[in-house]
Amino acid sequence: MSKTYQAIVVGAGPAGSSAALIMARAGLDVALVERGTFPGEKNMFGGVLHRLPALEEIFPDFWDRAALGRHIIKKSVTFMTGDSSFSTVIESGNFDKTPYNGYSIFRPRFDNWLAQEAVKAGATLITRATVDDLVYKDGKLAGVSIVGRTGELLAPVVIAADGVLSFIAKKAGLRQPTFNPAQMAVGVKALIDMPREMIDDRFGLVREQGFANEFVGCTAGVRGGGFLYTNYDSLSVGLVFHLASLRVSGKTPYDLLNAFMEQPQLAKMISGGRLQEYSAHLIPEGGYEMIPELVGDGILVAGDAAALCNATGLNLEGINLASQSGVLAGKAVIEAHQNRNFSKQGLSVYKKLMEESYVIKDLKLYRKAPHMLHNDRIYNEYPELMCSFMEYIYRIDGAPKENLSKLFLKSAKEKVGLGNLLADGFSAWRAL
Amino acid sequence: MNIDEIFDHTSFTIDREAHIVLDYAVCTGCDNRGCVNSCPAKCYTWSGEEQKMTFVHDGCLECGTCYVVCHRNAFTRWRYPRGGFGVAYRMT
Repeated sequence: MSKTYQAIVVGAGPAGSSAALIMARAGLDVALVERGTFPGEKNMFGGVLHRLPALEEIFPDFWDRAALGRHIIKKSVTFMTGDSSFSTVIESGNFDKTPYNGYSIFRPRFDNWLAQEAVKAGATLITRATVDDLVYKDGKLAGVSIVGRTGELLAPVVIAADGVLSFIAKKAGLRQPTFNPAQMAVGVKALIDMPREMIDDRFGLVREQGFANEFVGCTAGVRGGGFLYTNYDSLSVGLVFHLASLRVSGKTPYDLLNAFMEQPQLAKMISGGRLQEYSAHLIPEGGYEMIPELVGDGILVAGDAAALCNATGLNLEGINLASQSGVLAGKAVIEAHQNRNFSKQGLSVYKKLMEESYVIKDLKLYRKAPHMLHNDRIYNEYPELMCSFMEYIYRIDGAPKENLSKLFLKSAKEKVGLGNLLADGFSAWRAL
Repeated sequence: MNIDEIFDHTSFTIDREAHIVLDYAVCTGCDNRGCVNSCPAKCYTWSGEEQKMTFVHDGCLECGTCYVVCHRNAFTRWRYPRGGFGVAYRMT
C-alpha cells in the first residue's frame, strides 16, 4: 500500500535529519527514510563535530541536548616516519569554554539522537528501508520505492541525503554517472577500548576535555593521513587514503592501519587498549569541483550526497556542512509548499541559500586544496625532512654544528629538491 | 594487534541475497583489479593460479570503495543491502 507525505527525505544522517527536523517543525508531513535498523547504524567518521550554526538557530539549547562526547581542547599535528615523529600542539583556554569548538562523538548515538529530535517534531521515521528507485507519475517525480517492499512512499518532493554514493542523485541525473577515484578517499578506523582514567592521564585531560591528533607520513607513501581522537573511554584511531593513490599502491587499508598502530610512538598511545570495532567509509574529497547539481524537478541533494566536504589538510569538515545544507534544503521545501511549485525553478532557492551560506563560500575559497593535496611529497618526503631536521637540532653529541638554515636547505635539497619546495610552498599558500 | 582479528569485531546481519554481484569475466580481463587491495573488508580475492576472482559479500562494510575503484564496471548489481541487513556499527 502506498502512503503519501508532503516531503520524503532519503537518509537519516546529519543532512537528512536536519532537513526533516526543520520541515516537521514548520508543520509539514515528512517521511525520513533510513536503511539501517536505526539512524547512525551505517555511519562512521574519523573526526570532530564542529559547530552547527543552522541547527543552533532553530534549537538554542542544541548543545545541552545532543548526544556528544568530550569537547576538544587540544589539537595536534604530527609528522611521522617509521620510527620518529614531530608534533605541533595547540591547547587553548578558549577551546575549554562554551560554546565549545568541537566534540568527539559516536555516529550511531549522535545520528540517532538527531533523527529522534526530528521524530519529536513530528517527522515519520521509517527504518530498515533501502530506497530502490525514484517513482515518476505523469512525468513528474512522485516519490520513492523501497527494496523488497511493495507499495511506494509518495510525495511531491524528495531530498536526497543518501550519502556519499547518492544513487538517488544519480537516478535523478544530478550527479555524474561514475565517480573519479581522484576525488574520493576511504577512511578506516579502529575503535579501541581504554579506561577513562588512563586516557585522561595519558593525554593530559581533565573533566570532559578531549584531544584530537592528525598525522601525516604514516601511510607508507600512499596519499592520506592518520587520526587519533579521544572518546570518554575509548580511542578512535584510523587512516584516510585518497582512492586513486591507494588503488595503484597495491597496499591494503588494514595492513597500513596495522603498521600505523605498531609505529613506536603510536603504539605507546594505544597500548593497554582493546580493539572493539573496525569500520570504513568513503569521503567525498573533490571539493567545490565535485558538487553535483543541487536541484532538479522535485528533488534536492544535501550532505555527502552533494559532496559537501571540506578537506584542507588541516581541518576535515562534513557533518556541519551536511546539517547546514539539510536545513537549507528543508527551508526551500517549506517555501515550495507555500508556492505549490516543486519544479527545479520552484526549488532553486536552495541553491541561492547555499551560495549565500558558509558551505559554498568555504568550498569555493578552498577549491584549490584538493589539487594541492594530490602531491605525494606531502605524505613521505616532508614528514621525513621535518623529523630528521628536528632530530639534528636536538642532537648534541660533540659533532661540530652546522649553520641551521644552511643545513635545512641542504636536507630539503636532498629530500625534496629546492624547486619542489618553492612550488609546494606556493601551491599551499594559494590553496589555503 | 593481530590484523586478522580486526574483522571479527564488527557486527553484521547477513542477507542471503548478495547486494553486490560481479560479472567475473570482466574481472578476469581486468588489468588493474584495484578492488583486491583497496577493499577495507578484504572481500575480493584474486587467484593468479586459477585466474579467478572471488567475492564474498558477508563482511562488506558498505563503504563503496570497490564501486569507485572499479574502472571496468564489473558490477551487474551494486546497491546497499536490503533494509535491516548488512553492517551494524555500534560505537564508531
